[in-house]
Amino acid sequence: MARRRNQTPIGLKAGMYLVLGLCVILALFPFFYMLSLSLQSDADMYSGVPVLFPSVLQFSNYLTIWEKAPFARFILNSFILAGGITALHLIFDPLIGYVFAKMEFPGKRPLFVMLLSTLMLPFFIRMIPLYILTAKMGWLNTYQGLIMPFAMSAYGIFLMRQFILPIPNELIDAARIDGASDLKIYTAIVLPQLRPAFATLGLLTFVFQFNEFLWPLIVVSTTEMRPITTGLTLFNSEFFTQWNLTATGGVILFLPSLLLFIFMQRYFVRSVMTTGMK
Amino acid sequence: MAPSSGWTWLVKVLFMASLRNWRVRQALLAYALLMPAIIYFGLYFFYPIVVEFFASFFRGQPLIGDAQFAGLSNYVEAFTDARVRDAFIRTIIFGVSATILTLIPALGLAAILAGPIKGRNAIRAMIFFPYIISFVIVALMWKNILDPYSGILNNILISFNLPTQNWLSNPATALPAMIGIVVWKDIGYAMLIYIAAIQGIPENLYEAAELDGASRHQMFLEITVPLLVPTTLFLAVITTIGHLQDVSAPILLTGGGPADATRLFSLHVYETAFTELNIGYASALSFLMLLAILLITFLQFRLLNKQVRY
Repeated sequence: MARRRNQTPIGLKAGMYLVLGLCVILALFPFFYMLSLSLQSDADMYSGVPVLFPSVLQFSNYLTIWEKAPFARFILNSFILAGGITALHLIFDPLIGYVFAKMEFPGKRPLFVMLLSTLMLPFFIRMIPLYILTAKMGWLNTYQGLIMPFAMSAYGIFLMRQFILPIPNELIDAARIDGASDLKIYTAIVLPQLRPAFATLGLLTFVFQFNEFLWPLIVVSTTEMRPITTGLTLFNSEFFTQWNLTATGGVILFLPSLLLFIFMQRYFVRSVMTTGMK
Repeated sequence: MAPSSGWTWLVKVLFMASLRNWRVRQALLAYALLMPAIIYFGLYFFYPIVVEFFASFFRGQPLIGDAQFAGLSNYVEAFTDARVRDAFIRTIIFGVSATILTLIPALGLAAILAGPIKGRNAIRAMIFFPYIISFVIVALMWKNILDPYSGILNNILISFNLPTQNWLSNPATALPAMIGIVVWKDIGYAMLIYIAAIQGIPENLYEAAELDGASRHQMFLEITVPLLVPTTLFLAVITTIGHLQDVSAPILLTGGGPADATRLFSLHVYETAFTELNIGYASALSFLMLLAILLITFLQFRLLNKQVRY
């Protein structure tokens, strides 16, 4: 629809901007409101009407929550989880992607089809047997129990393969004739080509795992093993019931996603548009 | 002649041997590198399906606790249990309406944002933003906004003299409110996929239509929309399957209440397994859901193939 020669009528154009403006407000307002809540005093909270702009900015909420709940531990757990899973993805996904893109071996096609078929076995379907499996391994309520079920992904491997395929085979053969080992070819020729793919995969994996709620809810049984997501759900019940403090925790959970999104927004948007990745 | 042909023969044999040797080494190396993936996907994707199928023939906690063999009774119960049937119907209503309400506005927004709009990259990013946020935060924000007394929405309604609602605690409005929230979260994703698809439509189709005197409106309805059918099918299936498995929304927003009004099939499976600890029965329900998902995926392929031929 772009680059049409006939000009858009001014009325239509104004209507479009109005719709877009409303959508942007609708999309962002809840975040603004959460930020506002996180800075409100109890007086504002219980004034009977919702307050958009706090009368005093009570930054001390951000100190209070650390005393009321083991919040630092929740954050540490989230970073161990999301960081561990992301690291495993960035080690294994490109390696497996390389094998499928550039190596020849019997059984390659059926194995690749089997790999892609795992996309049809979503987490929810495997949730119960994964719990049984993790219990059998004695990994309930441990970091490895939280991390290992997400160590690799067919999406990530497929994405990496797509980035490796265009690397000319001649380049790899030439390096081999010059006596380069497979390891050398992988580290010196393949990996440098994957920088944008690493950013995309690393970012999406980290953010989605940082936000993961269901598996920690199932596997974790003690307060100190909770990541922020399930830790925060305790807030409304066990630790305190004030909305302003819950919102403060929400802002902290939300910050990593926001920062990554602001700095790497184009990678995000591009990766969704090119891969349809969830 | 003879020595020369002998030499060629020797070179050939040596070359073939080294090649075969190299091939064998390549294959061995490939399998060695694949080993972690074979173990991982076997253990965490394929084996669980076997375990689930096995567990679905037991009552209680097969493999990890007390369990009794129950034959097919879990499956029989699944098809006769009114609570399961209601949850299933509710899930279909939830999934289908959320999908439709996501895709239509997303297409409209994409049509606008694929065109020459100032600041379109920033606008796309901002509308997409809720998609990447944890549902924990989403639920926190919306529960507050929809709170019957201190919530901002009811206070806005009061100021316009409109009737207020107990959004998430009234059986009549809880499911629609939940649909509204997941639509709010997902719209940006569908929009981006649509934008990518619209930008992939060849420009000369529009030029030809323009020469034939087609209006902007006609071009959208007769070129853009038909060419977006495969994208729509893809999005419809991805979104519907996503909603079929959505446990976070009911757990975090309503806990399935009030009076089971938001008790989706997925939540029912989750609670059967982890609250009632009837893992066998939950496995049967979960396995039935896998069959449903495979059926939907299969139907999508059939539909898509038809589309491509057209």
